[in-house]
Amino acid sequence: MSSERYSFSLTTFSPSGKLVQIEYALAAVAAGAPSVGIKASNGVVIATENKHKSILYDEHSVHKVEMITKHIGMVYSGMGPDYRLLVKQARKMAQQYYLVYKEPIPTVQLVQRVATVMQEYTQSGGVRPFGVSLLICGWDNNRPYLFQCDPSGAYFAWKATAMGKNYVNGKTFLEKRYSEELELDDAVHTAILTLKESFEGQMTADNIEVGICDPQGFRRFDPSTVKDFLANIP
Amino acid sequence: MSILAYNGGAMVAMKGENCVAIAADRRFGIQAQTVATNFEKVFEMGPHLFVGLPGLATDTQTVMEKLRFRKNLYELKENRRISPKVFAAMISNMLYEKRFGPFFVEPVVAGLAPDTFEPYICNMDLIGCLNEPSDFVVGGTASAQLYGMCESLWEPNLAPDDLFETISQALINAFDRDAISGWGATVYIVEKDKVTIRNLKTRMD
Amino acid sequence: MMQTGIRPYYPDYSTVPVERQINPYADNGGSVVAIAGKDFVVIGADTRLSSGFSIYTRNQNKLFPLSETTVLGCSGCWCDTLTLTRILKSRMQMYHQEHNKNMSTTAAAQMLSTMLYYKRFFPYYISNILVGLDNEGKGCVYSYDPVGHCEKATYRAGGSAGALLQPLLDNQIGQKNLQKPSQEDLTQEKALSTLKDVFISAAERDIYTGDSVLIKIITKDGTKEETFDLRRD
Repeated sequence: MSSERYSFSLTTFSPSGKLVQIEYALAAVAAGAPSVGIKASNGVVIATENKHKSILYDEHSVHKVEMITKHIGMVYSGMGPDYRLLVKQARKMAQQYYLVYKEPIPTVQLVQRVATVMQEYTQSGGVRPFGVSLLICGWDNNRPYLFQCDPSGAYFAWKATAMGKNYVNGKTFLEKRYSEELELDDAVHTAILTLKESFEGQMTADNIEVGICDPQGFRRFDPSTVKDFLANIP
Repeated sequence: MSILAYNGGAMVAMKGENCVAIAADRRFGIQAQTVATNFEKVFEMGPHLFVGLPGLATDTQTVMEKLRFRKNLYELKENRRISPKVFAAMISNMLYEKRFGPFFVEPVVAGLAPDTFEPYICNMDLIGCLNEPSDFVVGGTASAQLYGMCESLWEPNLAPDDLFETISQALINAFDRDAISGWGATVYIVEKDKVTIRNLKTRMD
Repeated sequence: MMQTGIRPYYPDYSTVPVERQINPYADNGGSVVAIAGKDFVVIGADTRLSSGFSIYTRNQNKLFPLSETTVLGCSGCWCDTLTLTRILKSRMQMYHQEHNKNMSTTAAAQMLSTMLYYKRFFPYYISNILVGLDNEGKGCVYSYDPVGHCEKATYRAGGSAGALLQPLLDNQIGQKNLQKPSQEDLTQEKALSTLKDVFISAAERDIYTGDSVLIKIITKDGTKEETFDLRRD
């Protein structure tokens, strides 16, 4: 196969010991649409901007917040097509796990496996790193989980975090607003407020997406539910 | 003669009140010729997890090694103890991978769940078809005899001591009517904070 | 169609010898259990007659009284059972007429063995258990293989659930593997309740055993009959 003949990794060290390809990937993420995730006492929320460049776009047909299994959901900042591949892989790995163990995949396991895939793309030949950072939320062991997965394959467990454009401001905002005994409804409110911090233009139920995960599992809010939350925002 | 009956052997597991028991004979033979009377078919896979592998003796050992490999990897990867239910699913999956060239063992799993200490038993055929009844499971060449014994001796909510008596009587009387199992028996009683292993003296003919 | 030489091959007109086989035997299932005591003997047989996954009848008697004190229980190939018991009946009658007395249980047991061996190379495919009182009035059980091997015992399970039930009888009646076997004689009540228990167990796991059990209790005062129901699925 031709790909075998030219299978050098494109991600190589610079003389200073950095992998600039990964830094470029992180730059792509930082330029991407913002997304936030917050853990609450009784669940976890992820939210993102889904702005359209033209009014001709058919909203609510392509989603950024996706379900991986009944109890795990995912969102991203960065490049959409790269994200779709990871969603596909994550879903497949979750089902493979279920097939072998007849037990839903623990969120930690899924994150670890997705991170492994992302790492492989930093060392394999003929490929480039993913241009996305992921937020993976889940509920198992009677508690919420929130992880961030970076293009390098590094992953972090957060109580609350923001990624993408203006993420520094988002994080600062969350640091001020976060508290341990936050309820899920308040967390959704806070998540939307965080997005609003850097939101340009009017925020509507059609240009943001929100997903939550609680003991009942993961679900993406439909626009009417998002609208209800937006109604409480000044 | 079936390959499953080449070496002989009997296996039974039962549920009790907050405990489980698994027992097997100790014979290793080649058809009618008894070769050893200290052959183990039940293996400890964790503090509250046991698996019995009656069938072709070589596969008993190979499958045990493969299961231990997979179980160890699981426990390292997930940083937690494997539960009996997951372990059973794993065996089932592993056996079905060899659907058209199977290992000739009919596994029996007995244990307590790591967090709740809920009793669990199951068995499966040589290609991994799972069976999870609420009372008892049997396996090996004396399975017909064991079904007859267990069906009338077993009752719900047996305390560990009564469970020991029941499973021992069921196993011994069953394999005394099977020419290629017997020659001693090992019984494991698994409780929340103790596992009792007893080697039984039985008739040796 | 196969071409042999220049002539076409038509199977219907072939003169080449073809080997065909039929199976003269059927397995109609059923279980028989017998337990003997000091002055009695009980024998029970389930009443299901089946073939593979279908049930011919749920109410078939498989116990055949041969004399006042002798009963034969049969399971296996039902057509062989019919033939064997028909011949047995006439042999019992001939004995009565020739000797002017009823045949003893022991003699009937020996005769059955001979009759089975007579068909050594085309056997009756039956698992037979013959019970009765011997000349001293003691209960006795004889079990047979299809070609007439005969074994005297005090208890026996035979038929489709034989393997399930025999170890149970070893334990409960034969007192095998018990720490302290009871020294008392087996009572009729204990024998009867054990017999019922083992049939309930057999019906649980053997699909060829079920519907109901017909029991005969033979004592010096004659034969009592009783039935009780098993699961019908």
